[in-house]
Amino acid sequence: MLDGIMTGLTTAVMPFNLLMVVVGCFAGTFIGMLPGLGPISAVALMIPITYGLDPSSGIILMAGVYYGAVFGGSTSSILINAPGCASTVVTAFDGYPLAQQKQAGKALALAAYSSFTGGTIGAIVLLFAAPALASVSLSFQSSDYFALMLLGLTAVAAFSGKGQVLKAMIMTIFGLMIATVGTDVMSGAPRFTFGSLDLIDGVSFLLLAMATFALAEVVMTVLKGQHKEEEPEMDMASLGSMKLSKDEVKEIAPTVARSSVFGFIIGVLPGAGATIASFLAYGLERNLASAKEKLKFGKGALRGLAAPESANNAASTGSFVPLLTLGIPGSGTTAIMLGALIAYGIQPGPRLFIDNPDVFWSVIISMYFGNLVLLILNLPLIPYISRLLVIPRPILIPLILFFSITGVYLVSFNTFDIHMMVIITVLAILLKLLNFPMAPMLLGFILGGIMENNLSRALTLSDGSFAFLWERPLTLAIVVITLLVLLVPLISPLISRAIGKRKTSYPGPEAAVTEGEG
Amino acid sequence: MTISKDQLGALIFLVLSIAYGYNATLIPLLPGDEFEPINAQSLPIALATLGGIFSFLLLVGSTLSSKRSDDKLVLHGYDFALVGKLLALIVGFALALEWVGFLLATVLFLIGGYWLLGERRPKTLLIASLPFAVGIWFVLAQLLDIYLAPGRLFSALFGG
Repeated sequence: MLDGIMTGLTTAVMPFNLLMVVVGCFAGTFIGMLPGLGPISAVALMIPITYGLDPSSGIILMAGVYYGAVFGGSTSSILINAPGCASTVVTAFDGYPLAQQKQAGKALALAAYSSFTGGTIGAIVLLFAAPALASVSLSFQSSDYFALMLLGLTAVAAFSGKGQVLKAMIMTIFGLMIATVGTDVMSGAPRFTFGSLDLIDGVSFLLLAMATFALAEVVMTVLKGQHKEEEPEMDMASLGSMKLSKDEVKEIAPTVARSSVFGFIIGVLPGAGATIASFLAYGLERNLASAKEKLKFGKGALRGLAAPESANNAASTGSFVPLLTLGIPGSGTTAIMLGALIAYGIQPGPRLFIDNPDVFWSVIISMYFGNLVLLILNLPLIPYISRLLVIPRPILIPLILFFSITGVYLVSFNTFDIHMMVIITVLAILLKLLNFPMAPMLLGFILGGIMENNLSRALTLSDGSFAFLWERPLTLAIVVITLLVLLVPLISPLISRAIGKRKTSYPGPEAAVTEGEG
Repeated sequence: MTISKDQLGALIFLVLSIAYGYNATLIPLLPGDEFEPINAQSLPIALATLGGIFSFLLLVGSTLSSKRSDDKLVLHGYDFALVGKLLALIVGFALALEWVGFLLATVLFLIGGYWLLGERRPKTLLIASLPFAVGIWFVLAQLLDIYLAPGRLFSALFGG
């Protein structure tokens, strides 16, 4: 393992990769600040750029953008009460009241320190958890993989909140259906191409991600007329001091520690990302607080700000565990990274840290740097970065549209792709208006191809019998977990009824998860 | 009877699953493939079945619990005309890319976009588009050495 850390360190400290961390954090912070664009959109916008880099630099850049976007989201939550993404909705509960009390500086600093601690604790746990899990998963066979993919897909649906489970399942199936378009890998037969040459290669992952998460998100803001809204007034002079007193540090230290570990564990679970972690951590902290402190929650409680901030960053780190070790993304954002890795020809999964140790370790090591960059560079620059928010929307929106379209065009140089993007965007808007979540579709699309390969291998090995699902104890265990996860949405109303008396007033994560962020 | 969002979505996916399932049976198979444990049609047919079951469940579920009348699809309040124009602009951008080349297409797209979203000052329109497009073109074509095909129109006029 020490060897691995050294490999990672040497790759991560290469000047170019350090630059990528810095660039990623900045770009992420900026995109994350824009209301409506969250980590998924930010990472999706980066994919075309990473195509020109080598795999470790590319994934380092995307990881930097990821936690930069989470951090940027909290900045706009605190300053203008407009969360940039779903995982920072909770941050606004206590962050914005603080800003109104002329303590925005303190709130921003606290958010940055909590994010830093959350991210760092997460990265340390990841350092030990990932290789351990990866060595276990080395013994996995195709039947286990198939079961794991099933688990990943059902988990995403199961965690998608009240009344959304069936919709999420349908969207997952829809994603799997899109994945079948193109040439069948096994027999070479064209499927659902309708005789069109442009569809022989299937729908490109980049195109789908960009259309559903960059184009559609931007077009949605236009559809809702948000581009006409007046730019929010930000009084930078009233930021106030960025310093925290010793007592305040003492007050929040246990909160940060608790929420970081808690957030990391939530992040590791497939399907539960930063959004759910931040909501749960806020609820946990509120329940642990004394009756007197409870009243302060929602009115500018420092603990109420520290908890979701540490948790969402720790969860972002945690969601890398299933991605790097099992090749199963824990959230929509890591799903996009998985797609990018596959595009590089790297198969994320147990063999990743044997075949591509540089990628595996440099990502983990670069997370420390990323958190440092956020703390040292971004925090003092926040007053200046947030000025970018003042760029008028009529200018900003066409630019984002331009970047998402050319991002796809410059990879294929085929204008058919642009038409395809428009069609998918129209579909995505329709589905968004009908409240269907987008993330499960992307996940289904990305896992679809690998899942079919593993299924066909497992079925061929077992001579067409589905007995492979229960013959190996490991496969059986995963299948059982999958079934349990499927039962969660059925049981959870009963549980919430049991604890219904302690009902809290803040909105549940359901609304946020519908947006597919995290 | 008004139709709720869930019912509408479920119906759409039910139809989609059926169409998908029908098309799945048209996928050409290699001779003897039908005796293999899994062939090109297997997964699509399974997906169509699952999709059909899930959307049917959603349809039934949302019909039985249709107590929430606020759940129906509301379309007013959304600026569909503007979005339609923006999407048409994107399609136009794709055509312009082929005919007049990257640089000109980008300038036209950006100016068109700013204009549609309400920016009318000629100075802003030009400043926010021309230097940006030239900058991007310079980075792509000169620094990164990416070949950007000149538009067909220019090739036709001046020879490729």
